[in-house]
Amino acid sequence: MIIDLLRNFFGKKIAQDFDPELAEFRKIGFELKRHIDNIFSRSIAIREVDSGSDNAAEIELNNLGTPHYDIERFGLSFVASPRHADIIVITGAVTHNMALAVKKTFEAMPQPGFVIAVGDDACDGGIYKDSYAVLGGADKILPVDIKIPGNPPTPLQIMKGLLALMEAIKKQKPR
Amino acid sequence: MNTLGIILKQTLEARNIKCLLRKNNSGEDYVCIELDSFDETMLLIKNQQLLRLTAMWAAEDFEDHCGFTLFYVFENYNVPELLALEVRLKDKRAPSIALDFPVACYFEREIKDGFGIEFEGAFDTRRLFLHEVYPDSFHPLLKSFKNQALDLNHEEPKGTEYIFKEVAGEGIYQIPVGPVHAGIIEPGHFRFGAIGETIFNMEIRHFYKHRGLEKLAENRNPADCVVIAESISGDESVANATAYAMTIEKINECIIPARAWQLRTVLLEMERIYSHLGDMAGMQVDVAYPVGASMLFILREEILRYNALMTGSRFSKGIITPGGLQRDIGTEKLKDFKVYLSDFKSRFEEALKTACDSSWVIDRFDTTGIVKQELVSPLNLSGPIARASGATIDTRRSHPYGIYNKVKLSLPSKIEGDVLARFMIKAAEIKNSADIINGIIDDLYEGPFLSQCSNDDGYSLTVVEAPRGQNLHWVYVKNGVIDRYKVRTASFCNWFAIEHAVIGNIVPDFPVINKSMNLSYAGNDL
Repeated sequence: MIIDLLRNFFGKKIAQDFDPELAEFRKIGFELKRHIDNIFSRSIAIREVDSGSDNAAEIELNNLGTPHYDIERFGLSFVASPRHADIIVITGAVTHNMALAVKKTFEAMPQPGFVIAVGDDACDGGIYKDSYAVLGGADKILPVDIKIPGNPPTPLQIMKGLLALMEAIKKQKPR
Repeated sequence: MNTLGIILKQTLEARNIKCLLRKNNSGEDYVCIELDSFDETMLLIKNQQLLRLTAMWAAEDFEDHCGFTLFYVFENYNVPELLALEVRLKDKRAPSIALDFPVACYFEREIKDGFGIEFEGAFDTRRLFLHEVYPDSFHPLLKSFKNQALDLNHEEPKGTEYIFKEVAGEGIYQIPVGPVHAGIIEPGHFRFGAIGETIFNMEIRHFYKHRGLEKLAENRNPADCVVIAESISGDESVANATAYAMTIEKINECIIPARAWQLRTVLLEMERIYSHLGDMAGMQVDVAYPVGASMLFILREEILRYNALMTGSRFSKGIITPGGLQRDIGTEKLKDFKVYLSDFKSRFEEALKTACDSSWVIDRFDTTGIVKQELVSPLNLSGPIARASGATIDTRRSHPYGIYNKVKLSLPSKIEGDVLARFMIKAAEIKNSADIINGIIDDLYEGPFLSQCSNDDGYSLTVVEAPRGQNLHWVYVKNGVIDRYKVRTASFCNWFAIEHAVIGNIVPDFPVINKSMNLSYAGNDL
């Protein structure tokens, strides 16, 4: 056991800082935490709804919870029900088959709540814009507060978007 | 050796059945038969144990035929060429083959929704990708419908209500789940019938994410549709983009530079590695073992970053194009990746050992969610699901494309068919993929990475092995634009497997069974 302990201290670390992006991620994360502490009393709960994406945006949102990013340390968590959520993150162009479920999910969220569109197709319909099967971007059926474009946006870009939302909320309601 | 098309032609002619054989330069045989001899031909094919129905689709105004043409693609994993049976319809009716080929049930419903063709004798005629919100008379793939935004009433849908299978009895209850799920995953509806904790029936309803990709490709320039192929499923974007590019290249008889194929193969195998790593981690999350999961999540994130380093996108989007690659990947970057891979392998072994050493992981995995071997062929299962259930099939070996006939491909196979078997198969495939990449980087060609691809008319069929299994693409180019684009991803068929695998298991084991199969919703719904 002592050998294990020593190895942990002096041996090669498994999670290494891979690139400068991670340092920036951390900086934005703690800035976000400061806002969350002030506006939301230390934590916000996010509910993710997929309304017709290609699954890449979901993978990136999932990645936010993995060891390299671990956003729970900043006070953000993904929750299983819209009834627990402060923010709905919507990915993908809104399909006709999914529109009603998206609306119901939004209605189940307690107010005041916020909506974030993640990915090009959630922002304005992306490449599906002219398709018979989609309504267009998320703003066609929900009041979208902030759009994070990208195909899909990287974890860093998503964090920047969340920070922008916090700054916008702060401007709206000074506390 | 005779191809499937020649064998079928000879058999049919011996029975005085008229047929027409066309060989395509891309390797598949098209056998055109009359509707009158349809039943007899299908009976002949059904009696061939090794042939499986792998895809089915319809096209309107194909070549010189005015009306609808049905295509039935059959495959024998010991023969490289595919067989496409072509039936030209006189009106909007065709005989159903779903009783003989169970997988055809979904295909027939798909064609019915798209074109309004009725299949006589079908046991399930419910609508598939069009939900209640679409009126019953709406058939988007008809040429008379021009793709445009629709104004539909979501609150009061016009279409016929979808009827689920009813289960009833004392102590029996139903659990409806979805379309919005608890985790960060895609939408789909599952309806469990349970007695206590044990599942005795599960019915899936999908296509909530139907985005109309096939129609979207129509009337576009073939070179502009790579983005559509990439958005079929985000974590299969390299496989689908490659399959699409190959189809266009085959139509134009375009020869791809050796370096482009090497780099494509590196990207394809990287995609397999990160996809499998995500599954293996997710499976451990679902049995509450975050230590093992974290080790794999770390590795996956690193692979995604190497993707970004090489291609500019974490999912390697926007690099593959008909003719080769949009950009070169520097040899230096590849050499760096090779150094990383040796480190990766030892850390992966350690993570695998961590999982296998924990009794509660193995206890939850073992004998859970068994897919029986006899389901593999009738349901057209492919990929790790099939290989974990005793079928040693892989598109990379049976229908080799690119440089796959030159690489050292090991085909892991297990017979148990449970979650543990799928876990171990995926682990073995990750190691094999790493070896393949290593071999390619050692032996890298220098030179061009893109060749000129013309824009001719024609049609072609391509199958590739994506991380989830076999994906099939068929493109028909007419007058310089795409007239019909058909995609069948592995998940479209593999979703059937889970309906069988969960029976007799407990409801709390459903997430781990689902994750072990890693079925794509986006790739299924299109």
